[in-house]
Amino acid sequence: MSIWGMDRRTWLHRANPVIKLAVLLLLFTMTVLTHDIDFVIYQAVIFTICLVLLCGLKMWKILLFALPFLIAFVSSSSTMMLFGRGETIWWEWGLLRVSEESFYRGLHLGFKGIAFAAEGLLFVTTTSSVDLFYGLMQKLKLAPKFAYSFMASIRLLPMVWEEFLIRRQALQVRGCPPLRGVRGMIKRVGMYAVPLLAQSIRRAHRVAAAMEAEQFNGEHGRGRTYYYESRYSVYDLLIVILLTLAAAAAYMCASWYPWFGIGDVRFD
Amino acid sequence: MQSNGGNLKHGGGKKGLRLSDILVTVLISLVFGVVYHFWGSVYSLFKPLFPEADELLYGMWFAAATLAFLLIRKPGVAVIAELAAAHVEVLFGSGWGLNLLLYGLIQGLAAELVFAAFRYRRAGIWAASLAGAAAAIGSMSVDFYLSYTDDYALWMFIAKYTMRVISGALIAGAAMVALGKALDRTGVTSLLSPASAKDYAALDDVRHG
Repeated sequence: MSIWGMDRRTWLHRANPVIKLAVLLLLFTMTVLTHDIDFVIYQAVIFTICLVLLCGLKMWKILLFALPFLIAFVSSSSTMMLFGRGETIWWEWGLLRVSEESFYRGLHLGFKGIAFAAEGLLFVTTTSSVDLFYGLMQKLKLAPKFAYSFMASIRLLPMVWEEFLIRRQALQVRGCPPLRGVRGMIKRVGMYAVPLLAQSIRRAHRVAAAMEAEQFNGEHGRGRTYYYESRYSVYDLLIVILLTLAAAAAYMCASWYPWFGIGDVRFD
Repeated sequence: MQSNGGNLKHGGGKKGLRLSDILVTVLISLVFGVVYHFWGSVYSLFKPLFPEADELLYGMWFAAATLAFLLIRKPGVAVIAELAAAHVEVLFGSGWGLNLLLYGLIQGLAAELVFAAFRYRRAGIWAASLAGAAAAIGSMSVDFYLSYTDDYALWMFIAKYTMRVISGALIAGAAMVALGKALDRTGVTSLLSPASAKDYAALDDVRHG
């Protein structure tokens, strides 16, 4: 399954990855186009609840998400709060200038960041890449050469990490002197980047040659069969309904119980 | 299914992307994707220097597009590279979620447009730097939609994006050309271009003449 593992199988795991991707892309578009702070706050809250309920992970793993959420919030909101345009100035210090408008806009961006993070994690925690790419090949006619390249590369990635560790040990054994300063840093980067990338290219090329020989590129592939068959099921309908309801609930809450009621947060 | 022997040899035409091209592109980009994922922390180290000093490191996030193109000079490589790198970041459970795919797509397309404008024939420092700068401008246009950066104070807006464009040209452009040359010296790039465009032209000439 996905790199996060799976402790409990939920509806989202059972749904077809292509449908899931389509629904989440629609929700993503909705969040992008939302300029009303109340709606975004409810989206952030409701999608986070969905994530906790549907990701199928143990609580301590879910708590690990708090960090990316916090990063998303702070880095989305801080610059806008401190440097955004606005007329009602609350606080000014040198170039920093927090105005009412920029503060709310920053807050809006922060919650938007959380909504994006929750939508992304809903997909990532419940879908394995193999399921996704088999689904894309069979349902959306993605060319097999792309799908298999992605799947093979994901398998090759841990080898690159292993080589990184070996390279580090090799440099230590040879007594590579500690390099100081910007020059030293650039040299050090080259010492790792060049051999690791060269080796990756060589390995990818060898694997690709083998895969081409086995017809993985699927040039003649109309009658092609697949080891895993991607099917639609009733769970697809369930998650479409569930996530639509979640979005509708966020919209209803925003119009019935607005927290700020300031409408569009954009300048002019 | 009966397989056609002629196509088997060429792996599907000389112009299009072969599986080996895609696999090399994607693997390099996944490596870059891992770097991208951790680059955020390097990026925040620069933050305390002066406001938005971190923008000077932003170009790293465009590097996969240019490096992949410098290695495999075919249409489409830059877009695939950025998408693949973004995809690995999403897989790692980044807080940015699906935004990254959008950024990756637009940045890759912007770099691709520059290479296409040179008809995929130029892969020198100028073309690469321009592609890096174009990717920076691409990421700026996504920022407009996602982060309302056009609502920043004007000086802030100009400072932020000038630094980003410069960073794109330097890191994704000049530095990747240097890395590409270093990879050339290892001899590994000869695997990727077993026959150059010139060789094919020579073949065509013989056939017609």
